[in-house]
Amino acid sequence: MAQTTATPNRGYGRWTPLWFLAPAVLTLFLIGIYPTIFALVTSFRQYNITRPRDGFPFIGFENYINVLSDSTFWSSLLLTARFYVTVLPIQIVLGVAIALLLHKPGMGFLKSLARVTLVVPLATTYAVVGLIGRLIFNRDFGVANQFLNWIGFPGFDWLGSQSGAFAAIAIMDIWQWTPFCALLFLAGLSMVPGEIEEAARLETSSKLALLRYVQLPYLLPGLTAVMILRSADVLKLFDMVFVMTRGGPGSATDLVSVYIQRVGFRVFDLGTASAQAILLLILTIVISRLYIRLIYREVN
Amino acid sequence: MSFLKLEGIKKTFGDIEVIKGVSFAAEKGEFVVFVGPSGCGKSTLLRMIAGLEDVSDGKLAIENRDVTYEEPAKREVSMVFQSYALYPHMSVFENMAFGLRMNKQPEDQIKARVLEAARILQIEPLLERKPRALSGGQRQRVAIGRSIVRNPKIFLFDEPLSNLDAELRTQMRVEIAKLHHNLGATMVYVTHDQVEAMTLADRIVVLRAGLVEQIGTPTELYDHPANIFVAGFIGSPKMNFLQAKAESDGKVLKLAHPAFTGGVLTLPTPKAAKVKNGDTVTVGLRPEHLALSSAKPLLSLTLDLQENLGGATQLYARSGGETIIMVAPGRPEIAVGDTIAAGIDPHNIYLFNASGLAL
Repeated sequence: MAQTTATPNRGYGRWTPLWFLAPAVLTLFLIGIYPTIFALVTSFRQYNITRPRDGFPFIGFENYINVLSDSTFWSSLLLTARFYVTVLPIQIVLGVAIALLLHKPGMGFLKSLARVTLVVPLATTYAVVGLIGRLIFNRDFGVANQFLNWIGFPGFDWLGSQSGAFAAIAIMDIWQWTPFCALLFLAGLSMVPGEIEEAARLETSSKLALLRYVQLPYLLPGLTAVMILRSADVLKLFDMVFVMTRGGPGSATDLVSVYIQRVGFRVFDLGTASAQAILLLILTIVISRLYIRLIYREVN
Repeated sequence: MSFLKLEGIKKTFGDIEVIKGVSFAAEKGEFVVFVGPSGCGKSTLLRMIAGLEDVSDGKLAIENRDVTYEEPAKREVSMVFQSYALYPHMSVFENMAFGLRMNKQPEDQIKARVLEAARILQIEPLLERKPRALSGGQRQRVAIGRSIVRNPKIFLFDEPLSNLDAELRTQMRVEIAKLHHNLGATMVYVTHDQVEAMTLADRIVVLRAGLVEQIGTPTELYDHPANIFVAGFIGSPKMNFLQAKAESDGKVLKLAHPAFTGGVLTLPTPKAAKVKNGDTVTVGLRPEHLALSSAKPLLSLTLDLQENLGGATQLYARSGGETIIMVAPGRPEIAVGDTIAAGIDPHNIYLFNASGLAL
């Protein structure tokens, strides 16, 4: 009787890996790649969904030219930049401070409790942060004014004034993102080999020198990550601000993505909005490359 | 007054006492080695001298100054770590200059001192490199250089050679010995390797389970170990121990063990006065003191295994359930299973009482 040489079918064929990858790739395609391509295509066309009779004509770079000559776009971008340079340094400084406190030896249980607590703001949806912010900064019954009263200051119409509203969204963003910085820096600090820290402690008693010359190099990768993620995030920061202030009062909190949303879904000028979004994408990529070039250093 | 003084130093981690009261003093320029098995507390003790571990109880003084609660940087000690602990992002030059910079030394002086240290350690061509571009031995030199430039009161070494391969270890050991000779500095060195301890030390502190077992020069420890532990720890291969029943008339000691020729070893020794009839006495025999001889055989053994080391042969022989190791010069013409007779100079026989202390 002839022996068959065929290997038993274990259910693993040439295409098996494909089936495992397909769901993830398909999802990514549907919610990531397709919309991006759609936006890219739309950005070169006139597309206003309230005027379907105008069709979907190709207009070249006209949308881009309009956006770049739109002073409101520039001022909203500038405001976003101001927001970024306001919140990020505070988040970094507070993050480093918290990380240093958590890095100190001792108080094991409290520290692990604190570490867990740090995740709470990160796990909170932006929209919910916005809702909480609205309550905290409410002029009549918000805890922010309550607290001001306690320490002897008069209450303040946070969300009704230009600087108040900007401060309010900045404070909420700081609340939400400082823990993220703290966790990244804590990871960086724990990368410093114990003996290296000890070697430095034998050479200097200054905690600041230890931070500057020994620990900081280990924090740089985390710092770069924070700066990249935060710049991308601030450029697309929408839900929290929209829920809290809708960009107002006036244009005090009209960050760029709030503005784009208004162009796209109030005026329904999707062509222009798409061009704006694509420009933001390019800006994000450029900024990220710059950070990586300028700041990112691997210690080992 | 002594240069480095430890008085009743204790260290507890939680409820566990790891250093149980160590007192010890070192003179200026002395090379002291802490030696002991893993977990004996030798590294902890060194780290307490450095200030990297808090002292739970006791007093620590350097050059008559109480530094028990002083910050590490203000103790003017430097330390070479097992992992070298070089700053990975700094060049070799910057690694060595860091401590001086932190002390705000003038730039020209920093340069002069780093270059001088680099010359001593022959690492001048490496000054611009980063630690990752160095071999283990080179890193070790840089770590030592970093210690030298600061001109510390005491050099501390925490098992500095254990990450190096055997050949490099021997070479660095010689260099550290030379360095000590040339600098005349006070050094405290931790190791679990008794060969390093024997070769480097002016004085050895043998530690076990947080207590000092014996302090003495290498020769003292080898010739007159205070107890079985020190006897077994110092010397390689390890000392052979035989537990024998003793009979004593105050002048002559008769020790009964099946390994001895005729079952009894008769030893005229003043130590006999300290032994009562029926006591258990542990007899210690160093492998290098035992010699194959039929003239005055003290031990009758059966050969189990021989290891040819080239110039010498290590013999594993058995009798009465005990394995005896001995080192014979050359390559003796015997075979496994042979009965061999071994002799020893009676002066080289170590005796310990039932509680392990030397008689």
